[in-house]
Amino acid sequence: MLREKYKAEIDEILSRYPLRRSALLPLLYLAQKEEGYVTEAAMKEIASILKITPPQVYETVTFYTMLNLRPVGKFHIQVCKSLMCALVGSDTLLGWLEVRLGIKPGNTTKDGLFTLSKVECLAACGTGPMMQINDDYYERLTEEKVDRILADLKRDGTSSLKSGPFMWPERTDG
Amino acid sequence: MVETVKLTIDGHHITVPKGTLVIEAARQVGVMVPHFCYHPKLKPDANCRMCLVEIEKMPKLQTACSTPAAEGMVVRTATTVVNEAHKSVLEFILANHPLDCPVCDQGGRCDLQDFSHEYTPTTSRFIEVKRVFPKEYFSPLIETQMNRCVQCLRCVRYCDEVMDVKALAPSGRGTMTEIKHFTHHELDCEFCGGCVQICPVGAITSRLSMYEFRPWMLKRADTVCTYCGDGCQITIQTKENQLIEVMSAQGAGRNNGDLCARGFFGYHVSTHPDRLQHPLIRRNGELVQATWEDALEWVAETAIRLKLAHGPNAFGGLIGARCTNEDLYLFQKFMRLVVGTNNIDSSARYGQINGVRALRRVQGTSRWTVTFDDIVSAEALLLVGTNVTETNPITGLKVKEAVKKRQATLLTIEALEPAVGTISNIANLAAHHFSVQPDGFKPAVLGLIKAVVEENLVSQPLAQKAPGYVQAVSEAVRRLSWQAIERATGSSSQSFIDATRSFTRTARAVILVGQGVLRAPDGSGLTATLLDLLLLTGHHGLPGCGVAPLAEENNDQGAVEMGAALEYLPGPSDANDQAARARLAQAWKEELPKGPGKSLMEMIEGARTGSLKAMFIVGENPAGSLPPSAGTMEALQSLDLLVCQELFLTETARLAHVVLPACSYAEKDGTFTNTEGHVQSVRHAIELIGESRPDWEILSALSVLMGYPLEYGDAKEIFKEIRSLIPGYGLLGPAPTPPRPDQAVVESYLKTGYSSGLAERYTLGERRAASGERKDFSLTLLVTQTLFHSGKFSTRAKGLLQVQAEGAFSLNPADGTRLGLAEGDRVRVSNDLGEMTTTVKLQDRVPVGLALFPEHFDQEARRLLRVSTDPATQVPYYKSASVKVEKAK
Amino acid sequence: MTMAKPKYELILLKNMLQPGYTGSLADYERAGGYQALRKILGKVAPAEVTAMVTKSGLRGRGGAGFPAGIKWGFLPKDYQGPKYLCCNADESEPGTFKDRQLMERDPHQVLEGIAIACYAIGAETAYIYIRGEFVLGAKILEKAIAEARAAGYLGKNVLGAGVTIDVWVHRGAGAYICGEETALLESLEGKRGLPRVKPPFPATAGLYGKPTVINNVETLANLPHIITRGPEWFASIGSPPKSTGMRIFCVSGHVKRPGNYEVPMGITCRDLIFEHAGGMRSDKPLKAIIPGGASASFFTPEHLDVKLDFESVAQAGSMLGSGGVTVMEEGTSMVWAALRLMEFFHHESCGKCSPCREGSSWLVQTLRRIVNKRGRMQDLETLTDLCQNIAGRTVCAFGDAEVAPILSTLKYWRHEYEELIRTAEANGSSELLMPAAARH
Ligand SMILES: Cc1cc2nc3c(=O)[nH]c(=O)nc-3n(C[C@H](O)[C@H](O)[C@H](O)COP(=O)(O)O)c2cc1C
Ligand code: SF4
Ligand code: FES
Repeated sequence: MLREKYKAEIDEILSRYPLRRSALLPLLYLAQKEEGYVTEAAMKEIASILKITPPQVYETVTFYTMLNLRPVGKFHIQVCKSLMCALVGSDTLLGWLEVRLGIKPGNTTKDGLFTLSKVECLAACGTGPMMQINDDYYERLTEEKVDRILADLKRDGTSSLKSGPFMWPERTDG
Repeated sequence: MVETVKLTIDGHHITVPKGTLVIEAARQVGVMVPHFCYHPKLKPDANCRMCLVEIEKMPKLQTACSTPAAEGMVVRTATTVVNEAHKSVLEFILANHPLDCPVCDQGGRCDLQDFSHEYTPTTSRFIEVKRVFPKEYFSPLIETQMNRCVQCLRCVRYCDEVMDVKALAPSGRGTMTEIKHFTHHELDCEFCGGCVQICPVGAITSRLSMYEFRPWMLKRADTVCTYCGDGCQITIQTKENQLIEVMSAQGAGRNNGDLCARGFFGYHVSTHPDRLQHPLIRRNGELVQATWEDALEWVAETAIRLKLAHGPNAFGGLIGARCTNEDLYLFQKFMRLVVGTNNIDSSARYGQINGVRALRRVQGTSRWTVTFDDIVSAEALLLVGTNVTETNPITGLKVKEAVKKRQATLLTIEALEPAVGTISNIANLAAHHFSVQPDGFKPAVLGLIKAVVEENLVSQPLAQKAPGYVQAVSEAVRRLSWQAIERATGSSSQSFIDATRSFTRTARAVILVGQGVLRAPDGSGLTATLLDLLLLTGHHGLPGCGVAPLAEENNDQGAVEMGAALEYLPGPSDANDQAARARLAQAWKEELPKGPGKSLMEMIEGARTGSLKAMFIVGENPAGSLPPSAGTMEALQSLDLLVCQELFLTETARLAHVVLPACSYAEKDGTFTNTEGHVQSVRHAIELIGESRPDWEILSALSVLMGYPLEYGDAKEIFKEIRSLIPGYGLLGPAPTPPRPDQAVVESYLKTGYSSGLAERYTLGERRAASGERKDFSLTLLVTQTLFHSGKFSTRAKGLLQVQAEGAFSLNPADGTRLGLAEGDRVRVSNDLGEMTTTVKLQDRVPVGLALFPEHFDQEARRLLRVSTDPATQVPYYKSASVKVEKAK
Repeated sequence: MTMAKPKYELILLKNMLQPGYTGSLADYERAGGYQALRKILGKVAPAEVTAMVTKSGLRGRGGAGFPAGIKWGFLPKDYQGPKYLCCNADESEPGTFKDRQLMERDPHQVLEGIAIACYAIGAETAYIYIRGEFVLGAKILEKAIAEARAAGYLGKNVLGAGVTIDVWVHRGAGAYICGEETALLESLEGKRGLPRVKPPFPATAGLYGKPTVINNVETLANLPHIITRGPEWFASIGSPPKSTGMRIFCVSGHVKRPGNYEVPMGITCRDLIFEHAGGMRSDKPLKAIIPGGASASFFTPEHLDVKLDFESVAQAGSMLGSGGVTVMEEGTSMVWAALRLMEFFHHESCGKCSPCREGSSWLVQTLRRIVNKRGRMQDLETLTDLCQNIAGRTVCAFGDAEVAPILSTLKYWRHEYEELIRTAEANGSSELLMPAAARH
């Protein structure tokens, strides 16, 4: 039950908007963080918090690609396949990931660690090929870098290769 | 004055009110702009892009459905460019369409078919793969074929904008957008059928008639729904005397083409296999088949014998308010002339009478002084004791329209909490809601009146005109303390003051009074008090303002106006109104019976004590409606003659000596009068089932055999007589003109009339234990109506049974927790009168301390109810009881 | 990789390119931050601020290039109820990644811009609608908002001037269309992101039906500079009078140094690609340029000397759009490139309008067939027709956008389409269409 566990957070979110329904996406994120995906129970609970019907929550959830209605792996790898990244090798990157993980896009590894997805442009076109894993961006990828990232994640649950605040090219000389 | 604009459409000049959409202006000059997503009931969404037209000075083609007409606009709808655009949009829409017209129920009345026929070539350029949605079971009543969907979202928008139900979800996006309910769950909603009706293609259809017909095979009959007082116009479509479907054309009737589940899916009652096909006579204790001749003769002979032996007042007559005006009129005439008694009553006695009595007492009308249109254009609406959607769904739609589209202020006093659920809850739309226990309506109304008085909101002209009245009422409410009102209602004095302020501020105010008031003790008194409220705020008598008691059965209002009541002659006129009696005697060429007459409960009492020997019961089932504690069964069993005219072998019919098979509304002609006093034609859609006959015809035949012939060729002839005697029956017009309050009556009420009973009307009465204090597992059981049924009649409609086939005990989740009950648990509900076992349903909308059970399935629940009879109006009350609840073993 | 010392004085990227600049409030203040807000709050009338912005000639950096000051001027005068500002940080036009840098590296510059705009239009609440994937950006902004609020630059009674400016970050959840301003509003209201029919325009009935201004991140980030240095100064930069100020171009594709370059409007494509982005990454010559994000028509090497300002690019048949410049080298298949973009548009079509919804799936399938060597010559006519039937017939500009790549590649590289189709015809696979059952 989100309401009990996150009461203060939910109240704070609701306070940002004059109409309750605006809190829908923030609350869905909360639910997704809780369970890894948006469960039916969560949709119903959010509907009742926002005083809308479950179908109204559902229609909104299905419109947005970042909200999962089914469980995904611990690490959700999303590779940008749009033109700009494709020009600099995202197809090869995807192929490499498929080999390394042994799965096709849309699937999850047997150990439940990795889900592989193809996604459209993530606004990192100058630093492609790139991917997003959970909340983090990984840019200017090479096969070797990908291998290190996967190993890091398996081992530590995180990787130092993730991007910080965006800056490219880095700075002016002199 | 409405502002207007002039524009030109395809060379036609036209003037329209400002704000009129180009598509509507075009329709007025006879130009039909093709469209899918546009619908006059919905806000324009302009998503299908089919209605593109050329407008001078605009660079791009514009959508006629979303562009308001402007002064000097020049519109062209038939140029080559426009035609090409229409073709291309259709080409897109058809690209992914399965073109499965041969197996589509919409075939022949499909917008997509029609426009394609008009615009597109027979071969398509689309050679790619069509998108295919996996088939999902949608609901028992509604079928979806999402591959046919053109994504116009009319269904979704209707469900939200008109119904306020919001059960349909367009899920996914782009070409994969699909209309669903909630994930893969089957549809759970009000089942109004609106989505089926409004879908321009065959994507949403009714399962009740799936694959049974092609539209051009159907025969149509325009008639009136028989389920509630709203009186919706419906079109019954039949094939070879089989009922195929019911629909209501856009704009039709008082309902404007909208329907509820009962109207749309409840039509199979008429052809139910249990329908009585032949007359039955009791022989050796058994009801056996008889010929009409034998049955009628036996009835006539026995009746004559009993009349000779015991006199006419040993007879009683009871008729159901589902009958036509013609049946009702002839019935009372039969009782008054052929039998010669005033022992006449109808099912209007259960509640409607309370409303009519109050209206007559305060303002001298028997009808509303407002219409549905006044509800729509009201600025403030007060609903007392009615979740209007469930009893009068279409009146409910008018309220929703007023609030959602016209920003009316809604005040509700109801035994329901606002809670979003699968069935719309009018309290959700309320600006001021008072959630009270069923005995809290009166304290809440008094709270409003107290606020009017104490905040100095009493109308000045009234104070001058009727100082005595204002002073008496003011003193009466001042005597009530706010604490007591707060205790009785659970609402703060400030909330009454706020609500009253927003109510008095408006120019047009309507008060709707529901069954919670009309079917509860002193319903008539509280309705009169609500009229006091309107008088005090100065709204009373103003155009568009009034108090409107909601009729529950389709012809409750007709029953009263036809004089099917001991206290009313046709008109209605008071039974002891000498002038009216003289007029009627002259028309009927016969003296009217004297004496007070007996009401429903008095007749039952008479039967029990032996003063009543015989009863004619037409389409009524007191043995099935009244609780066993009333002793109805035993009373009826002791009659020497019980004649029932019925469709089915009801509890009452089972006790009869003779059962005469009557026909249903779908088989007869006549008229119904709806809750707002609108008289509408009923037309037969199918031939008579078995040997059944219209009720009036049976009565007419009996009258001949009893030696006092009331002979009519057809229902029209009876209507002619009604029209000559009863005001308001002259016109079956499109919009009724409501009566104005009779000023003489109002004045006399303000002078002295108000005082009788004032003290009782202005006390809070005793308060049952507040919910929080109930440690003894006790709850207040309230037997109520639900949306999916109407009385017990509809419980034979197979469509409705699919959505609701049995009763459940609904209570608040908090009470569930307190009592250790979970959804679906079996419980034993009991009190000193009896017990029942049923299933628990937890609903946020039920207030703590209350438990609801639907009357349609109350066979067992009735055992827990006690009857009390209103000394003034003779209305029996038996809708609530205090009960104990525990988990069943 | 570092870039050459810029030839121009940077405005927006200036702070963040200073070594050690962290984007904290202290850093920003040290660099002169929030002076603009101090300058106007309670001292310059809101209408005056709007007038300054109009005078600066600042045009929207989100795509349509509408003059910001004029847009603000559309709000009803003397309106009493609430008004809103929405900062469009959805940045989802393929090829665009400048707002991300502005928000992540110098969030206070954006916030100060937001505060100025709020003051000018009389909005007490601003929402930053940021694309859901920018989790880091959202965190950085939230932290910056907290800092600014604590320092009195946001919140109630800003800088003691009695003005309320509440700023909230609202994350999207993966839908390109939510960058379209009315879809953004729907999404912010908790609904599906379907564009609204206009009119009414957001200026009269926007968020919650109230007057609303929607501006892009970069547009807003320019405001503090316009205020501090004056509209005349701003209007003198770039190619006045219609395209003033600097512009951040996001260069991607086959160049040596992809990245964001802030340059005055009006420099040529050639300059941007060869001077700033280091030229082509290999010895293959340049083949095609997308000058303004995925929605802009392709350019050829012939267009290298087109000036990158609103008018010049439009005159050359494309648009400056969001400032995303994608460069493609010889050897890149233009049909494939069009397909990749079309796949994007198909995936992102919200589905509201029939032509866009159905057209995008039709177009993508046809292109895919051609790329997979199963095309037919008449497909080219169908493609052109469909594109023309989508453009201008939809509720929002998405319809125009999605057909630009196809129409422009067909225009300049029709032979590539034809070659693929000829191969198909030669090996007989043109007729290998879908199985009949799948067709109807
Ligand atoms: C399909 C579509 C997508 C858009 N995406 C974005 C976007 O991601 N970011 C943005 O700032 N503007 C985007 N826009 C433009 C906005 O609609 C709007 O013009 C802009 O936010 C206005 O701000 P500006 O005047 O400051 O540019 C998009 C427009 C369309 C039609
Ligand atoms: S189901 Fe019918 S009404 Fe609903 S969107 Fe599809 S075509 Fe329109
Ligand atoms: S009817 Fe106008 S766009 Fe659909």
